[in-house]
Amino acid sequence: MAPSLDLANLPDADVVTLAQQGREAAFRELLRRYERPVFSLIFRMVRDREISEDLAQDTFIKVLNHIDRYRPEFKLSSWLFKIANNVAIDHLRKRQLDTVSIDGSPHAASAAEIEATSFDLVARQESALEEMEARELGSAIERAIARLRPEYRSCIMLRHVEGRSYEEIAATLDLPLGTVKTYIHRARHELREALEHVKGAGS
Amino acid sequence: MKHRHLLPDEIDQLLDGEAGFGVAPLVAHVETCDRCRAELADARQVVSALEHLPHFVPSPRFAERVMAQVQVFEPWHVTALDTIKQWVPASRPARALGLTALAMLALVISVTAVWMAVRLDAFLFFADLAGQRARQAVFGAAGDAIASTFGGAAVDALRAGGMTAAIGVTSFLAIVLLAVVGLRALVATARRRRI
Repeated sequence: MAPSLDLANLPDADVVTLAQQGREAAFRELLRRYERPVFSLIFRMVRDREISEDLAQDTFIKVLNHIDRYRPEFKLSSWLFKIANNVAIDHLRKRQLDTVSIDGSPHAASAAEIEATSFDLVARQESALEEMEARELGSAIERAIARLRPEYRSCIMLRHVEGRSYEEIAATLDLPLGTVKTYIHRARHELREALEHVKGAGS
Repeated sequence: MKHRHLLPDEIDQLLDGEAGFGVAPLVAHVETCDRCRAELADARQVVSALEHLPHFVPSPRFAERVMAQVQVFEPWHVTALDTIKQWVPASRPARALGLTALAMLALVISVTAVWMAVRLDAFLFFADLAGQRARQAVFGAAGDAIASTFGGAAVDALRAGGMTAAIGVTSFLAIVLLAVVGLRALVATARRRRI
């Protein structure tokens, strides 16, 4: 028998074409590729695992059910991040949940729920000391991100966590290029200030 | 440049690794100015920490929950094409062999079709003969079944009644069959709801 199509090695545009033809495997491949980045973006925006899953689910359902409307001149990831950002911002506007601790959901009623909704940061440093320092910096930066304005948050995450260019971020978030640069500059500045005490404690 | 420290925008230019006309003096300044060098190092540390942030993982059932609400409609031609592709051998010799077998089959069918077209009278004769044999076999089997279930009188009555009796009996059997299937479906649904 001929081997089945190796979707994992195809570029996004080809997988989207297969999805537009109605192939379920292509839908699953798109989900596999983007569930973590989309979920992470939303999680860092809303800081609640359960709500983040619901919003990420809404994002994928919107995109996958309207895959026939996808325009190949744009990146699929930009479209996904745009919708993910919009649903997260809409949620924050409704709930005003923009400055919540990373130590767990504000809706958690028990220790188990707090644990279930708290962040689990994974560091890949070699030594235990480096790992501890990285964890400390990672936790501190997560806290600092949580305190940023939502629009700064999405810009800084798309720039440095997802590695997008300024132009892509501007297109994704429907913002002028200058505004994106300003937001990222201010976000970096606020993060640096927020991390000063970590550095001070570490030195 | 020598008389002032870097502006925030200039630090950003260096952070983003921009290359261009105005970048060389900024780099030169950083090399000679401790304060700007320290500021740039701090900024790079923040960027590095951001770039090493991990992706969070949704729950294992996430993909299934999404797919349950995604409408996937595979057109018939895509399904057909995929089915055909599944039967295409992977290796080149096997494909060649398959193609040869297919070509031979096509040849046999074509020759048979041509023969049937040329000898239409013979074809019709054999077709009629096969039809008669099939009819006799079906009626014989149905007659035997009715005779063994309802007795020989039922077969005689059917033969006497002709088409009207046959339609009546068929309708009755169909209604009974549908009633049985419907009742079973109702029972199954009720059981599922209880679970």
